[in-house]
Amino acid sequence: MSRPFPYTYISCPCADTPVPDPARKRRSREFPQKANPDAPGTDEKGTITEDEEEEQTFDPRSPRSNFSLYPPEQLLYCEDCHQIKCPRCITEEIVCWYCPNCLFETPSSMVRSEGNRCARNCFNCPICTAPLSVSTLENVTGNGSQQGPWVLSCGYCMWTTLDIGIKFDKPTNIRTQLSKMADSTSRGRQMSRSLGDLKSPLSNYASVDEQFSATEDGGPDQPTEPLGADARFAALKGFYRNQIAETSTSPNDPLGTDFAGGFASPGALNRIMSLYNSSSRLSSLYNKKPKSKPPVMREALTASEGLKIPVPGAEDAVVRRMASDECGWDGVASIEQRSFQPPDARFADDLLPLPVLLRTKRSKRCKSCKHILVKPEFKPQSTRFRIRLIALSYIPLATLRPLTISPPQPGYPTTAPTVPNLDSLPPLKPVQLLLTLKNHMFDPVRVTLATPSVTPGRVDTKVTILCPQLDVGANSDVWDEALQGTAPGEQRSSRSGAMGIGYEKVAEAGKVWDKGRNWTTVAIEVVPGTLPGSGRRASRANNDFNDSDNDDDDDSVDEKDLDWSGQSKDPNEKLQPDEDVLEIPIFVRMEWDSENQIEQPVSKSSDTVKRELAYWMVLGVGRISPDLEG
Amino acid sequence: MPPKAFKGEYIETDTGNKISRRAQIHGTQRIILGGKTVIQTDAVIRGDLYRSSSSHASSDDPAGAAPSPSVAITVGRYSYISKQAILRPPSRLHRGMHSYYPLKIGDHVFVGERAVVEAASVGNHVHVGKEAVIGGMAILKDFAVVLDGAVVPAGMVVPSWCVVGGRPARIVGEVGEGYGVEGADGGLARERYRLVGK
Repeated sequence: MSRPFPYTYISCPCADTPVPDPARKRRSREFPQKANPDAPGTDEKGTITEDEEEEQTFDPRSPRSNFSLYPPEQLLYCEDCHQIKCPRCITEEIVCWYCPNCLFETPSSMVRSEGNRCARNCFNCPICTAPLSVSTLENVTGNGSQQGPWVLSCGYCMWTTLDIGIKFDKPTNIRTQLSKMADSTSRGRQMSRSLGDLKSPLSNYASVDEQFSATEDGGPDQPTEPLGADARFAALKGFYRNQIAETSTSPNDPLGTDFAGGFASPGALNRIMSLYNSSSRLSSLYNKKPKSKPPVMREALTASEGLKIPVPGAEDAVVRRMASDECGWDGVASIEQRSFQPPDARFADDLLPLPVLLRTKRSKRCKSCKHILVKPEFKPQSTRFRIRLIALSYIPLATLRPLTISPPQPGYPTTAPTVPNLDSLPPLKPVQLLLTLKNHMFDPVRVTLATPSVTPGRVDTKVTILCPQLDVGANSDVWDEALQGTAPGEQRSSRSGAMGIGYEKVAEAGKVWDKGRNWTTVAIEVVPGTLPGSGRRASRANNDFNDSDNDDDDDSVDEKDLDWSGQSKDPNEKLQPDEDVLEIPIFVRMEWDSENQIEQPVSKSSDTVKRELAYWMVLGVGRISPDLEG
Repeated sequence: MPPKAFKGEYIETDTGNKISRRAQIHGTQRIILGGKTVIQTDAVIRGDLYRSSSSHASSDDPAGAAPSPSVAITVGRYSYISKQAILRPPSRLHRGMHSYYPLKIGDHVFVGERAVVEAASVGNHVHVGKEAVIGGMAILKDFAVVLDGAVVPAGMVVPSWCVVGGRPARIVGEVGEGYGVEGADGGLARERYRLVGK
């Protein structure tokens, strides 16, 4: 619904299969069209349920449809399963990690050790998330020596690191410079040391000390030096790892090993799986008396272990600072800003530049047969694919465009065809649409289209596909098109010219509208229904739901009782959001003879095998206008 | 749907560019159109903002300097500049000098209505939504999509296949693998070109 009209969505049938059952998928691979061969041996039963399923028409408004409708370019096609694959029926594997800002690849070992953030000079603004740029403070004109201190500055909100009092000595390797500074900053804030003591080994820290005065007044005197946020996290992590290693009773204790292994998820799974095993620690605790006393884990006790005791009165200081005039609303960090910052950051002054999160390139596999569907090239900048099995190269590409208002209105001048405004389709006026199916396969395809004659939902739009059976030619050779010139374009333009002059071409039932080398156009006639609330509908008694909160003043408007979308509980005549959008579900069934593949030797003819594929497609035609006089 | 065309709204060049007579194009000698590019009514293309290499002796050494008639804007094939869009070469202060840099736009690019593009480079098959703003020296890689009304901050890099939106723009998603296939979403440039001026 976010797309401009007209649009096409294709429903992936995976939403109807409740549980991804690999055995079922394997069976359905052998019979690709059997939607539900659940009971082996009872074939008749299976076909009955299948028929029942096919009796149901697809409702684009049902809440489940949100999860199955995809724009066609997002769909993949598994050649092994002969099925459309949506993003939910695939698994992804990371091919490479790269920074979206500098587009450099980060090796996965480094991602594992350093975290998934760019280790170079790429930072996002902590205020507005725009990328920061490194710029010099000294605007030396002409003179080439730019040795001045460097800052990160945001070109969007004009924030610079000067606002938090950070300058850099050199324009490279800012991440390490910053992490050193961040440690020394937090240390400085808590210890309220003098500026001279704060200097990091690089002696590049220039503190604007006034900012911290509010938080500093309750200066603690802890014997050990408090750590910065990163260092504290590292200390805590190391502490807990040691604790587990010490307290684990046996070397094969699942908890101990997987924690030491760094929370790897297979290990965690292993722990859960073996939780109730006899060898597990828990069962040994409960079943038989432990031979030794179970060692007790303790929490961090000292600051060197990562313990942080807040300064007495710290909260008061924070509150006082928030209430003070110089802080104000803008001085307090918002929740979105704080969520990416160390937990102590409360004010805008505490926000540090964010290293850019890495992104990934991923290869995609079919979930059921594990075949690779998409494999991009490794280099981050490359846009090419080694393998790319997209659905668009298998299923016919459907494009919809409106024909002129038909039949020819007597008042209209025939030279200027009136193209219906898809954003406000007048109700009860027939509109003709042209649906073009373009075949990208090298085999000719026979397509059968089917649609419920009245669209589901409260708005009864009558839909007639004038030619529900059609053949689409093969995408034989690219050179044909080149040798024919711009054949489709010329034909299309002559067609539009013809229909502009007179309505020579009238859509006839049972005949295709137009046909090209690998495309076929059929006409669809649509009579948009009236919206509930726009009145003048054939009155139907609405006995049930007219009492409670019928607050709109529209009188004598009746609502259709029968509601397929489950929205009939709504008592009033108000439109549901996007209920005026006219979407036509169309069942597409395509048959073609494809060349036989090696893995399927049994077929009646030697070199071709009959294939078929069926799916629901939703055409978004337009919006129905509420008033009857369109 | 073709625009309401009166006779000869578009000038068609030898290479098939269709340029509206009502587009405001400045500095035409510094603009290169790759052919079959559409420039619609009231689009503003600022070819007059180019780097003046002769004004400063030191500024023509860097690699960005173009040959003597320095090109301000390059547009590839089948690109589409919608109504009231503004293409403006990016500029920045470099060693105290305010200088312009060339704006390169690739093939099959769509620039929506009232969009402002000040990018350093726009790749192929890029979609810039209507009323979007591409800040100075931004780089849009191939198959990037900028949603309607987004503000891409200056200097931002949008990687391939990424969808950005919001103010300031962030990466909000990715387009599917089929994006840019001829005839599908992102691959409608030829069709769009064909319908112009009909």
